[in-house]
Amino acid sequence: MPNVLGVAQRVALWDAALSAVRAYFRGQGLCEVMTPPRVAAVAIEPWIEPIAAPPGWLHTSPELAMKSLLAHGAGPIFQITHVARAGETGAWHREQFVLLEWYRTGADARGPMDDVERVTDCVVEATAQWSTPTLAAPRAWRRIGFLDAVRATASDLQLRGDEDAARLIAVTAGTPWALPPLRTHSAQGQRLEAWTGFFTAWSDSALDPWLAEHAAGGCGIHLVDFPEPLAALAERAVDAAGRLVSGRFESHAWGRELANGYRELRDAHEQRARFDTVAELRAAHDQPALPMPAAFLADLLAPGLPPCSGAALGLDRLLALVVGAARLNDIALAP
Amino acid sequence: MASLDVSELKKNAKIEIDGHPYVVVDFQFVKPGKGQGLYKCRIKNMITGAVMDRTWRSGEKFDPANVESKQMQYLFASGDRFTFMDNESYEQIELSAGVVGDDKWFLLDNLTIDVLFYNNRPVGVSLPSHVIMEVTDSEPGVKGDTANNVTKQATVSTGYLVQVPIFIKIGEKIKIDTRTGAYIERVNG
Repeated sequence: MPNVLGVAQRVALWDAALSAVRAYFRGQGLCEVMTPPRVAAVAIEPWIEPIAAPPGWLHTSPELAMKSLLAHGAGPIFQITHVARAGETGAWHREQFVLLEWYRTGADARGPMDDVERVTDCVVEATAQWSTPTLAAPRAWRRIGFLDAVRATASDLQLRGDEDAARLIAVTAGTPWALPPLRTHSAQGQRLEAWTGFFTAWSDSALDPWLAEHAAGGCGIHLVDFPEPLAALAERAVDAAGRLVSGRFESHAWGRELANGYRELRDAHEQRARFDTVAELRAAHDQPALPMPAAFLADLLAPGLPPCSGAALGLDRLLALVVGAARLNDIALAP
Repeated sequence: MASLDVSELKKNAKIEIDGHPYVVVDFQFVKPGKGQGLYKCRIKNMITGAVMDRTWRSGEKFDPANVESKQMQYLFASGDRFTFMDNESYEQIELSAGVVGDDKWFLLDNLTIDVLFYNNRPVGVSLPSHVIMEVTDSEPGVKGDTANNVTKQATVSTGYLVQVPIFIKIGEKIKIDTRTGAYIERVNG
């Protein structure tokens, strides 16, 4: 039976969870910050649509503002804030949801993965009295490379991770992950479009069932070492096998995506080029043009971002999963 | 016709795919990581009733299906034409046997049904889930033949042939499931 809480229980649940998250991060030496929800520019991402709030937009994540704080010497910080993404409405999506976002300076990309595990434990413990989960909380976590996960779930697919668009189209042809015709024209645009298209189809049809199996076995999964075209705002890295990958991870628990994190990209020119590539993809798919986040890019140039890594975790999702709710709306404090 | 973005899809939305009208009967939004949003829909062909699952990616567009359903009363048949009257406007229309299909066997005089119009053309009818009809002909049940599940053939007022339990007699009324065409129960009184 999915758990549906009354208003008083929801209030107590959120209060307990927020206290637990704050206590954890303060204990780790991170400072809590707040940045305004209306921003002049959001990170330009392929399939994340901001909601207009003239003369700007509601933030889709506090990432750029927090990285600007880091560039100006903030040190390790965390934030709990509502963010807004147009059109994302479903059992596990709400247009406005609470993002927990944090950055550690100096740490390697794996630091925030430990945080995801600890935060999950803290919230599970703090909210036990409201919890009637159908699936137990993860008892263990496993880190698995993106390409290894592809091999585990789609054994016929021989991916190296460095395929260009034409090669990826050829490799996936005739499989359930065959790509729709590309609409972009530049080599970079096509590579991003092809890999994003593959990731979307593979996540849905192969990765999700595999994650559900692990969830049933009480195992959380960090998907690590994303192929370089899927780096988004992550720095490039070299994996254990010497392949060029990106310092990006995605954490899944209870079979659902919970968090996404990066070893943060610090190169302003590279970041600008990636935004340009995404802008090309957006235009090709009739998505509205977004302004270049100029202030953020200027901060990346000078004073520059210190080496850091960070992650964002959907707090509504974590709470809904922890208590065994069937949808985000069942733990929401407002419709 | 203004096109409909997949993000505007809702349960019961009527859309046109390959020249056929479909209604969305179930609908789920999922979005893998920083991937593209997927709209997983179960859709039903409004003419044939066939149900299928389709997944669309965010950004895809459709034409809304120009469909309308009107309540109409069955009046009479003449040859292979069936005449109905619009319950609101009292306007009469004729439907061909092709549109009415096997539902013709359940068309009782004055029965109210829904007629589906697609691009202002009648394309289908939808009947109540069951109808009550009178048995006009059937062999008497053979005495002693009372084992379970023993049936015999009966004819009802529209000429439809249906398998009924052997205790059913001529002149009795029976309830028939219009979706399967099967006998449900005897109706007393």
